[in-house]
Amino acid sequence: MTELSDCIHTIEYPYTRSTGPYIGPFLTGLRDGKLLANRVGDRTFCPPIEYDPITGEDASVAFVEVGPGATVLGHTWVSDPSTKHPFPHPFAFALLRIDGADVPMVHAVDAGSPEALAVGTRVAAQYRDDRRGAITDLYFVPEAAAVVQNVVAGDEPVLVSEHLISLVVREPLFPHRRRYAEGLLAGKLIGQKSSVSGKVVVPGRGYDNLNRVPLTEADELVISDRGTVSSYTVLTPVQYYGQKETEPYIRCSILLDGTDSPIIGVDVRDIVLADFRVGMRLQAVWRKPEDRRVDGLDNRFGGSWEDVIERWEPTGEPDVDPAKLKDYTW
Amino acid sequence: MVSSATFTPTDDDIAIVAVSQTRSYRLFNDSEQMMIMSCVNDLLSRTGMDRNDVQFTIAGSCDYLSGAPFAFVSNIDGVGAWPPVYESHVEMDGAWALNEAWHRLMLGDIETAFVIGSGKSSPGTPRHVFPLQTDPYTAAPLGLDYISIAGLQANALINAGKATERDFAEVVSRSRRNALANPNAQLASDHSVDELMAKPYYSSPLRLHDVPPISDGAAAMIIARGKRALELTDKPVWIRGLDHRIESHHLGLRDLSVSTSAKLAGEKAGVHDGPIDVAELMVNFSHEEIILREALGLQDHRNVNPSGGPLSGHPVMATGLVRIIEVARRIIDGEARRGVAHASSGPALQQNLVCVLEGGD
Repeated sequence: MTELSDCIHTIEYPYTRSTGPYIGPFLTGLRDGKLLANRVGDRTFCPPIEYDPITGEDASVAFVEVGPGATVLGHTWVSDPSTKHPFPHPFAFALLRIDGADVPMVHAVDAGSPEALAVGTRVAAQYRDDRRGAITDLYFVPEAAAVVQNVVAGDEPVLVSEHLISLVVREPLFPHRRRYAEGLLAGKLIGQKSSVSGKVVVPGRGYDNLNRVPLTEADELVISDRGTVSSYTVLTPVQYYGQKETEPYIRCSILLDGTDSPIIGVDVRDIVLADFRVGMRLQAVWRKPEDRRVDGLDNRFGGSWEDVIERWEPTGEPDVDPAKLKDYTW
Repeated sequence: MVSSATFTPTDDDIAIVAVSQTRSYRLFNDSEQMMIMSCVNDLLSRTGMDRNDVQFTIAGSCDYLSGAPFAFVSNIDGVGAWPPVYESHVEMDGAWALNEAWHRLMLGDIETAFVIGSGKSSPGTPRHVFPLQTDPYTAAPLGLDYISIAGLQANALINAGKATERDFAEVVSRSRRNALANPNAQLASDHSVDELMAKPYYSSPLRLHDVPPISDGAAAMIIARGKRALELTDKPVWIRGLDHRIESHHLGLRDLSVSTSAKLAGEKAGVHDGPIDVAELMVNFSHEEIILREALGLQDHRNVNPSGGPLSGHPVMATGLVRIIEVARRIIDGEARRGVAHASSGPALQQNLVCVLEGGD
């Protein structure tokens, strides 16, 4: 038996955002090795603020250079950094009042040890060698550890910020999904029968969503791998970048015998298009046990039928009257 | 001041008529829908209602937690997928779903609503997820996470001379000891302040025990208006006040050692318009209890977080609604007559909701 592993997904959103007339110059400044601030009322903000936080009026776009020194107003020592943090080793996030600014900013201080920081500790801005016009171009160190850097300014202003959001989620297959996956590997389709309505679906959801009843292993049964085409569509591939298909192919729904909801998205390649029809009787031909795969199956999506079933063959039985299938198209 | 003894509900008053919650699990190895379903079925059996008798459904959940786009749509399975429900959703804790449902019933055309909060934090990494709610230019790229921000706030409280690390440990010791009597708690233990103080820092001045656990869970309630509430239960818990306030997302503009928004919400909700028998505060991090007690005028109150609070179970998106349920349940059970529940959202108590609940005679 193949060992079923946890489902692991990486969800990524490559955000690109326009920087605008306040953050743009600030991020351009970071790339060029300087801290820019603006003035609103009687306070100086670094990073620049876009609006007066009291009145909501647009803030000034007259920027002044501040820093590079700053004073620690408060901090937390991050003993166990996450992979999203600016340093792989312990460091501090601190509220910093940049020299020449009034409103504190939060940033990272690479201080070596927690004892190096207290309220009032002097720190200084440092810039990374690999700068991309982002807040991560900057970091702080205790003033005594600061080195003189010769930061070479870039050419164009930073108009766009890029931030790749990447989240990994991991969960075990839920118990009913695990039993279903194990069934597929054994060449069996396991469905669930509602203890209230008697309706049978494959794969089960772990509950009857019409009657709000949890379903358990006791509600499961092996479903016939023979059924009737209840709907289909013919896909004609468009040759976009990455397209692997060249010939028209069928995706169909099949109402398996003894069930009340069709299986969907079944790929059909071996039956002549002109012969394919709703009502046609089909029989699954399983892949050899060693060729069956369920790694595309998780708690939400069922993977591909083709990972376990090689093809569907017409049985030669008489068709089912399509009118009897009208409630089972999807 | 309104004396609780003379409170007579009118047709416009809205009450919680039944409450339900799951345990707080480190990992619930089934779907979020299943947790919601167990709460919904429990509520229907407690009230004798049919699902179709409940006229409005509102849920609070967050697809980012379990990394499943449109998870909130499949959550409706937990209420029953057919016939369609009249549904709304907030990307907020269920306490804010209650806020919307409360306003919805005030319109006067419907009388009952389901309020649901649910979340599964276990599949993801909360420390990676939560920075995404901070400023996308100046904070999120730094991975400025909720635990680090809490550390900054706890440090601000100490720097202001308002608390010590021993005070934080006292909150944890009491909360997790209270949780020993809470069957829904995920973490419950009896540890002395000295034992806790001996542990290493995690995000100083916070230790790991000052941080809430990662949890899966769901909570739900049925609320009803006027006479309908009295038909559904002989122990309605009336919502006597509810208010929520939000502060700047800019941490540098805030005095992190106080909660201006919680104070204002408490005043508007009428926290001190009567005696307070119990308070359940959304203390995700131990130091927050000290800030919230001050903001709500509960500095010396003896019955704060008898459930153990979020330090004993933190099913994000349900945690705030659970606070309201914990107060309501004590009023239903006759342990309390009038109580205060609090929910928060965002880093460093950025948003605060206060709900005042009161039983009948």
